[in-house]
Amino acid sequence: MNRSLRVSRPLRVHSPGSTQNPHGFPFIPALRALALLCALLFLPARAAENLPPKPDRYFNDYTGTVRAPTARAFNEQLADHERATSNQILVVIFPHLPADAALEDFAVRTFHAWAVGQKGRNNGAVLFIFKDDHKLYLQVGYGLEGVLPDALAKRIIENEITPNFRRNNFEGGIGAGITAILAAARGEYKGTGRTVADRRRGQDSPLVFFIVAGVMLVIFIIAGRRARSGTVYSRSGRAYANPLPMPWFGGGGFGGGSSSGGSSDSGSSYSGGGGDSGGGGAGGSW
Amino acid sequence: MSAGKIILIVLGALAAVLLVVVLWVVGIFNNLVTLQQGTDAAWAQVQNVYQRRTDLVPNLVNTVAGAANFEKSTLTEVVNARASVGQVKLTAGGAPTDAAQFAAFEKAQGQLGSALSRLLVVSERYPDLKATAGFRDLQVQLEGTENRIAVERGRFNEAVQGYNVAIKRFPAVIFAGMFGHSARPYFAAVAGSEKPPVVNFDFSKKSP
Repeated sequence: MNRSLRVSRPLRVHSPGSTQNPHGFPFIPALRALALLCALLFLPARAAENLPPKPDRYFNDYTGTVRAPTARAFNEQLADHERATSNQILVVIFPHLPADAALEDFAVRTFHAWAVGQKGRNNGAVLFIFKDDHKLYLQVGYGLEGVLPDALAKRIIENEITPNFRRNNFEGGIGAGITAILAAARGEYKGTGRTVADRRRGQDSPLVFFIVAGVMLVIFIIAGRRARSGTVYSRSGRAYANPLPMPWFGGGGFGGGSSSGGSSDSGSSYSGGGGDSGGGGAGGSW
Repeated sequence: MSAGKIILIVLGALAAVLLVVVLWVVGIFNNLVTLQQGTDAAWAQVQNVYQRRTDLVPNLVNTVAGAANFEKSTLTEVVNARASVGQVKLTAGGAPTDAAQFAAFEKAQGQLGSALSRLLVVSERYPDLKATAGFRDLQVQLEGTENRIAVERGRFNEAVQGYNVAIKRFPAVIFAGMFGHSARPYFAAVAGSEKPPVVNFDFSKKSP
């Protein structure tokens, strides 16, 4: 459809009018190739359009089902699991699947887009829950397929999660599911004591740091000049020995807190490590 | 200005142009090699997941055959389809370049896939069999494998499309043939083939 439109429109415009180029043949193959290229290039992009954006938490409830303290506890439990084992395990509650999306397809594409798990280890897992659809899917990354094979994933869903969900006990079901998943996934990999988000907080900000440092330098120079001329600062030169406010350098106060949207009060934030899934896991319904 | 100097300048300019051209071709060459390796890697994954399915068949057949008077024709179909999968010979090392070979592979795997989904449908009529934990685990594994096949097929297609576009694009198209690059076949997107076969629980309808 698209391709034929793209090709036919330039043809109609060019062939009657352009007398300088009566044959027009350099145009047509080039345009056709261009259109084909565009079609091919935009195919994956279009397919990825419908996916939800990367979450910034391990536990993400977009339905308001789980009470805030419980959600925070789940989030910390999952964050601690990454610190201990480097496995990234997420729980996401959506109200429903996007229209025309298949459960397995949506789960694996979203997992891929979120890059759950560490790069090279691919040790991630995401429990997707679609509350109004009464469906769920535990998507397992390549690296956890050994400890979380499909049959075990199915058993966790059927024995731990859905019986609780049927009684409308969502917190209980999710809690039992998380416990079972973490128990299975523990022991496969060793963690570094820090999550990807923890590491990024210290590392991710060189650009921000340079901008801030640049701004500070300018302020410092201006301030220095004024001080030298004696208009603003009446203190002695001793004050310039420590001109940059130290919080910029001290720990993660700046890089983490403000750049990720004031998240420090609601617990550990999640950041994808670059892992991937090849479609492992199992689904279920309640 | 002497003639010698002019010749030297011209030669120098030519050498510079030549160097740029060589570097440019090397860049194209390396890019094509990277993309080709990408399709090979994706193909390895495709074979991996298909092999996983093939390996599941004996277990499944044994489990199902144990059930009292299980429909023999369905089982035979699965066994035959698995045997014909084993007979498809592919050139080792890397994604297939021969479209006919590729089509044979796809056809054999497709037959095994539909035979297996029929087996699952038929097995729904045997409640005793369905109740065994062994069969349920196998069913989950089979579903998971079909899902993996769909995923890896999709990724393979993406890799091959990227490669095929790259070798047909100007200016790579001039050198691609020279370096032994040719367009590779990929999985035909039969309607619904990107999704795992649906196990139909409704017996009034015919199985897919």
